[in-house]
Amino acid sequence: MSLIVAAFGFGLVSMSIIAISAVGFTMQFGITNMINLAYGQVMIASAYAAYALNNAGVSIWLSLPVGAIFGAVFSFLLNRLVYAPFQRKGTNLIGMVIISLAVSLVIANVMLPIVGYYSVSYHQDPGTTYHFGSIALTGEQILIIALAVVVMLAIYALLRFTRLGKAMRATAANPTLARNCGIPTARVVDLAWLITGALCGVAGTVAGMNSDSFSVASGSEFLIPIIAASILGGAGSPYGAMIGAVIIGEMTEISAAIISPEYKQVVAFAVLVLVMVLRPQGLLAKRGALAAAG
Amino acid sequence: MPVETDADPVTPVAGRPALDQPPPLLVAQHVSRHFEGVRAVEDVSIDVLPGRITGLIGPNGAGKSTFLAVLAGTLPASSGRIIFDGHDVTALPAFRRARRGLVRTFQLPSEFAQLTVLENLLAAAPDNRGDTLRGALLGKRYWKGDEDRLVEQARVLLDRFRMSAKESDYASSLSGGQKRLLEIMRALMLQPRLLLLDEPMSGVHPSIIGDIADYCEALRDEGLTILMVEHELHMIERMANPVVVMAQGSVIGQGTMAALRQQREIVDAYLVG
Amino acid sequence: MTYYLTTVLVYAAVDILACLAISLQFGVSGIVNFSFIIFQAAGAYTAAVLSLPRDTANGGFQTYILGLNLSFPLPWIAATLVGALLAPPIGLVVLRRLRSDYQAIAMLVLSVIASLVVTNTPAFLDGAAGLSLVPQPLSDKFNPYSEAYLWAYTAGALILAVIVFFIAQRIINSPYGRSLRAMRENEVAAKALGKNAVALKMTVFVVGGAIAGLSGAILVGFITTWAPSTWLYPETLILFAAVIVGGRGNNYGAVLGALLVPVGFEEATRYLPPFGPPGLIPALEWVCIGGLILGFLWFRPRGVLPERRRVFPPRRQVAEVGNPSASRD
Repeated sequence: MSLIVAAFGFGLVSMSIIAISAVGFTMQFGITNMINLAYGQVMIASAYAAYALNNAGVSIWLSLPVGAIFGAVFSFLLNRLVYAPFQRKGTNLIGMVIISLAVSLVIANVMLPIVGYYSVSYHQDPGTTYHFGSIALTGEQILIIALAVVVMLAIYALLRFTRLGKAMRATAANPTLARNCGIPTARVVDLAWLITGALCGVAGTVAGMNSDSFSVASGSEFLIPIIAASILGGAGSPYGAMIGAVIIGEMTEISAAIISPEYKQVVAFAVLVLVMVLRPQGLLAKRGALAAAG
Repeated sequence: MPVETDADPVTPVAGRPALDQPPPLLVAQHVSRHFEGVRAVEDVSIDVLPGRITGLIGPNGAGKSTFLAVLAGTLPASSGRIIFDGHDVTALPAFRRARRGLVRTFQLPSEFAQLTVLENLLAAAPDNRGDTLRGALLGKRYWKGDEDRLVEQARVLLDRFRMSAKESDYASSLSGGQKRLLEIMRALMLQPRLLLLDEPMSGVHPSIIGDIADYCEALRDEGLTILMVEHELHMIERMANPVVVMAQGSVIGQGTMAALRQQREIVDAYLVG
Repeated sequence: MTYYLTTVLVYAAVDILACLAISLQFGVSGIVNFSFIIFQAAGAYTAAVLSLPRDTANGGFQTYILGLNLSFPLPWIAATLVGALLAPPIGLVVLRRLRSDYQAIAMLVLSVIASLVVTNTPAFLDGAAGLSLVPQPLSDKFNPYSEAYLWAYTAGALILAVIVFFIAQRIINSPYGRSLRAMRENEVAAKALGKNAVALKMTVFVVGGAIAGLSGAILVGFITTWAPSTWLYPETLILFAAVIVGGRGNNYGAVLGALLVPVGFEEATRYLPPFGPPGLIPALEWVCIGGLILGFLWFRPRGVLPERRRVFPPRRQVAEVGNPSASRD
């Protein structure tokens, strides 16, 4: 029993990381109608960008913003240089998925010769371990959870209270209508890629912090729980992704404790299949992609 | 089949007393369609009488297209019943309704872009022995007879709609009006009993609008029943009887266009402006 | 030399089979089966565990299920069947209600997961190490290392590829193939015209799965080993690249793509002088595959040999006369 409680604690960390990444992933989909399968690779690339600084002696927490900025700029350029031109050309949904997978492959294999084939680990101090009953969390893990809470609140505030957030929701619901209403949709989309890219970069770096080591190959591993959480919550819905992250994060960690860690991803997949059979639109049904809260 | 409606009864056509009216070809009973709380179609009941063009008009967002989609099975009904030719088809998927002769067209161009015009028609044709995996594997000899017959049938339609010259062009290369005609021809390949047309005149060059109306009237005179959503009111007035008016998801009136013009609330809701 | 040539040709036959199946699914029907490679893997594993003896043989250095020691052609037939039978369960989950791009990512995730499961379950198919010493077909009657055997095997593989090519031709040039293309172009309209889209997709999924299963059996019978590293999800993307380059929806294009991309890349890198650190060349190869996809989708989305336009012979004079009544009003 205490094993499961301990796993629940790890689940809190997992769900935090999945939440940050899945919200970015699902917002890209919601606002640009684009399933970006290169997301996992951009996460890894950002994690390596933070690693470069960290390896030079900078604390990982100070390197984290570099990961975020790298992810933001990378995602922005990816959209500007590849995705947006193809979308303007009228490439259909299927074509865009193939393109994003091809991009993912290119990123991974351009990175390989640069960063090497072996796993790396951040130089970090996990801090004191705090015990809450059977749950044991390091100071760093608690900070990751806190960071996720801050990021979620920030996303909520952005979508709920700012003009940019409203413009994003309008663009997600109906780009043509939004444009006709005088919303500069091109700029909204640019900003959306910068913001979701930053989430992607943060998520990649904290995922690297929370794992013993990571390598280029970790990208596709990252992607599966993200896809599962996004679809579970209802693709395009950031709040759905948050709920999805909670469920997937806990389920994978608890099942890892009960069954075996190797099957973490399989559990995420099983949840995905169930959702696809029973409720393909996800828990929070997609309404205008980025549904407003409340 | 008697159906309770809130709206006025259908005005009988002069010279055809109500007693002699044939039973309706399609009956919609209390049909609703909700999208996550939005009531796109709310408790709509109408009869579609055979051998006529029934018009369905109303302002944008009135739920006309949604209603048409529900009738055709493209969207499932949230509640209510749809009876076509005496059979309850409410639970049938779109393709089964089409096979029974309930065929729709679309508001947006929906041609099979990378198929030729002739292929668009052939793709719609039922009863081709080569249209199953087994038939395909048995080879051309097995299905050539059907194919030749259907090519012939399609070419008759192309002639009639004066599109023969375009036979081997990709459908994507057609003009807006030609795509409309193609959609109508494609639907006719199924030899429908009831044709549901969703704004067949929108996005069409004005010179072709009259042609489309002519074709529709000719088809009606040959016995085809048509239910048509359309914004071109003068065309509706010319062709359609009765006309059903929808607003905010509900039927607010029906009758001849002339009768509808007398009803103040309908004029206020739609006909003005 | 014989070994080299026959190897290239057997790989060519296998890739041609795979590309024909992908062209049928993706090119003709618009289904993006990103889990294609697991159908091939299922066929290969099936053929392997049916032709291998019990896993206690060979000193028990590998563990796997079955081990029925069946003789040719039973393992190949079973592989084809397993490829086909794998399709309905996957298709029922994925192909019915999901949007087309969802379908694609669902299958991508499936591919990654299948590989994870097999890798982490050594008792099933020997995990990451994979199966080896798979007996070649009829190796109990002929010497599988003789030149004659290698050539016979190659001929058999090529003949199967030719047969499947003609089957694929029959499908795409039939009214059934036209229905598939109509569904690809506009699924909602196809349904409204009486096409049972779910049934159409399922049959194509099953046919493609059977071809993939057969291709796996042919390959494993020749190379005699099969491991998870040979069927990672990017392998599917190579085949997609091939079909996009060759021309989707055109079987000649699928063959051309198979020869240019998977076979061509493999052979071209064989003759490259080694440069850079180890692993650089494969990495660059993958970059090229990704670049090919992007480049072709941008500059020539319909491929080298595009789907051909079907023009019907003009009507006979008799028919013209026979229809003077075609009304014009």
